[in-house]
Amino acid sequence: MPRPLMKLYHSYTNLMQFLPKIPRNLLTTALFLCIAYCVSSVLLQHTGAENNSDLVFTLAVMFISLLTDGYVYGIAASIIGAFCINYFFMFPFNAFSLSYSGYPVAMLSMTAISVVVCALTSRVKLQAMESAKREQDAKALYELNEKLNQEKAAIQLQADRETIRGNILRAVSHDLRTPLTAISGAAAVLLSSEEIASSEKNASLVRDIKSDADSLIAMVENLLSITKIRDGVMPLNKQEELLEEVAGDALLTIRRRFPDYPVSLEMSDDILFLPMEPMLIKQVIVNLLENAIRHSGDREHIRLLLFRREDWAVVEVRDRGRGISPEVMQAVQLGRPLEDNLLSGDSSRGMGIGLSVCQSIIKAHDGFFAAENAPDGGAVFRFGLPMEESKHE
Amino acid sequence: MNEKRVILVIEDERTISNFICRALNANDYKSIPAFSGKEGLSLFFSHSPDLVLLDLGLPDMDGMEILQEVSGLPQETPVIIISARDRESEKVKALDMGADDYIVKPFGVSEMLARVRTTLRRSDRLKMSQGSQKDVYHIKDLTVDIAKHQVLLNGEEIHFTQNEFKILELLCIHAGKVLTYDFILEHVWGPYGSSSNQILRVNMANIRRKLKENPSDPKYVLTELGIGYRMLED
Repeated sequence: MPRPLMKLYHSYTNLMQFLPKIPRNLLTTALFLCIAYCVSSVLLQHTGAENNSDLVFTLAVMFISLLTDGYVYGIAASIIGAFCINYFFMFPFNAFSLSYSGYPVAMLSMTAISVVVCALTSRVKLQAMESAKREQDAKALYELNEKLNQEKAAIQLQADRETIRGNILRAVSHDLRTPLTAISGAAAVLLSSEEIASSEKNASLVRDIKSDADSLIAMVENLLSITKIRDGVMPLNKQEELLEEVAGDALLTIRRRFPDYPVSLEMSDDILFLPMEPMLIKQVIVNLLENAIRHSGDREHIRLLLFRREDWAVVEVRDRGRGISPEVMQAVQLGRPLEDNLLSGDSSRGMGIGLSVCQSIIKAHDGFFAAENAPDGGAVFRFGLPMEESKHE
Repeated sequence: MNEKRVILVIEDERTISNFICRALNANDYKSIPAFSGKEGLSLFFSHSPDLVLLDLGLPDMDGMEILQEVSGLPQETPVIIISARDRESEKVKALDMGADDYIVKPFGVSEMLARVRTTLRRSDRLKMSQGSQKDVYHIKDLTVDIAKHQVLLNGEEIHFTQNEFKILELLCIHAGKVLTYDFILEHVWGPYGSSSNQILRVNMANIRRKLKENPSDPKYVLTELGIGYRMLED
């Protein structure tokens, strides 16, 4: 269709849009029939030739078919038009007469034209509807895509931020290690020198420097592990290890830092050889032992136990101290990292980060972590690691 | 020995280098600090030290290069590597390339001094014996008789399997030195033998049980986590 006609068509459909379907169609039909009647009347007065009126009505029927829904209105208009022609515009005027031989042909052809036009327009309409629907779908799809992109960007931003935070934490921890090592080392050198050792006051100050530097070193190690685990960027570097060797190494580290605490290692005859990242598991054991030393109040009976229970290699740290506070117990049972406000007491300094590192590490190993108070007093911290690499990995 | 032993400390962190040198000087060693790889190498050739403490993370060159250059020389100067905790593979590589021992940052002074002492003693012994091997090794209550293929603990004989004995023998020969898993595997099972770490580790667990060793208080065999084993010296 040429453009101006198209525009006309659109403006007409838009104009009629506010009416419901049936009145709109009826109105369209009536309107065009009226126009046809008027035009034919004018023509009749001017020319007196009756034959032009059927062309005018055919044109009207065509427009009606085009502008209404379905075939009914077009066919009805063609029949009405045929009667109108017969009644108003054919000799004898204002009376029905079937005498004119061409009349049935004119009527039939008008009906046929209306059917054909209806069929054509309905197809055009269908196509228009489909294309409109397609357009709508495309738009919806585009919007969805846009939304997804936005969400993806947000997630990416979040992940980037986490990565950056982890990287900063890691870099800072790395950089803290060297000066802390130097502080601890320098303090150790001072302690062994005679000038310092001869004065108990100075010696105790230097001992404090050394012990605090050592605690900070341990904390930095924890931070490094946490950035490693929590990021999830680096997969665990698991290898098969003897648990007794890892535990032994952990215990040696603890002995170096707390020479006055006799911690005993008890192990069953089972050879516990299983996949793990040894440095991380060592750190879990060191943290648990350090917690027992610092927080249980027990100096004599801290024990480290290794044994096998079904398919788990189990490590236990037991003491006979004051036991685990309900807050800590709850946090461990819920598998939640300990919040700082739970550990406001000075004696608990560092316990939160230590335990939460333990839990993260054990979780990353698909193991279990538990805490309980022994019936005969004291705390038990226990974790288990699967003897076999789990299948779903 | 009246003369002070000379130890070259190649470490770029001045604070670390400072306390290492102070600790060494306080324990009757003569320390020479070097703050870069190039300086370290030139000091090595001009002073020919008895031992080198080498940080692998140097700013100007790879510590491995220095190790390669130093350990290939005929004077066989022992090298102790200083490395970060989270770089196991680097330590294993350095040990396999001829380093004698390693210490991990952050380390303590007493630990470092113990390693220095052990390494110096071992290198002295190697130089004196000039490659001739002992037949019998005594470590505390343990006697390992290579020729008789016999192990005595407190005078009582303990039975070991063939491979267990080979591992023990290897550790005795290199007493004081860290032997990497791969080194032990190659020397006990041969270069084309089983490359499975598990066999070695399980054998080790059995040796430990037969010697009634408690890993938290080792009297004979030290575990170097993720790296290998070391026999303590008598």
